[in-house]
Amino acid sequence: MSSSKEGGRVAAACLLAWVVPGAGHWFLGRRVKAVVFLVLVVLTFTTGVIMKGRVYVANREQPLTYLATFANVALGPLDLIGRRVFYERIIYVFPSESDPMLYQEVMQLNRSKILAVTHEYGTTFVLAAGLMNILLILDVFDIGIGRKR
Amino acid sequence: MMGGVSHFLILCWFSALVGSFFGVLTRSTFREAFKVGALIALLMVGVSLIIAYVMFFLPLGS
Repeated sequence: MSSSKEGGRVAAACLLAWVVPGAGHWFLGRRVKAVVFLVLVVLTFTTGVIMKGRVYVANREQPLTYLATFANVALGPLDLIGRRVFYERIIYVFPSESDPMLYQEVMQLNRSKILAVTHEYGTTFVLAAGLMNILLILDVFDIGIGRKR
Repeated sequence: MMGGVSHFLILCWFSALVGSFFGVLTRSTFREAFKVGALIALLMVGVSLIIAYVMFFLPLGS
């Protein structure tokens, strides 16, 4: 197989791994692992959402939220579900005070979720699911280029 | 327990998920994956309990 075709195959596998956890492994022929990864990542994410875990939005005043948002976005479409559940809309950047209506609404949603006893645990579960998927994408890349058997 | 939530069970559930993930990620056979996964999960729970026990003696603050 030519190197450009091989590169395309690896890129497709990584993209699939981002869109659906485990799909990259499935694409590369690791079917059993793919199913196990899908179940584990979805279970972790679902547990986090049930526990009212936070899905992060990038906030200029808190630079670490950029990293957390990146970890969330690594979940692909699952992240969209999380944002829809937590913020009732899909946003990635914390609204500025120049948009008082949206600002107040997001703050209100944040406050109501933070009151849950399991909020911090849920946030950890959601972040862990995202980090798991980042590792899966890297694993798919390693398998694709032949670094890992 | 706090409001029907067991912090310990949440810890066990999280450890089981993370342990299973790393077991399957780093090993190729089911037997080895299970061993590594169980070891990671047990270590996570054990280390957390040790840290919790040590922190019990720390003052809560004002």
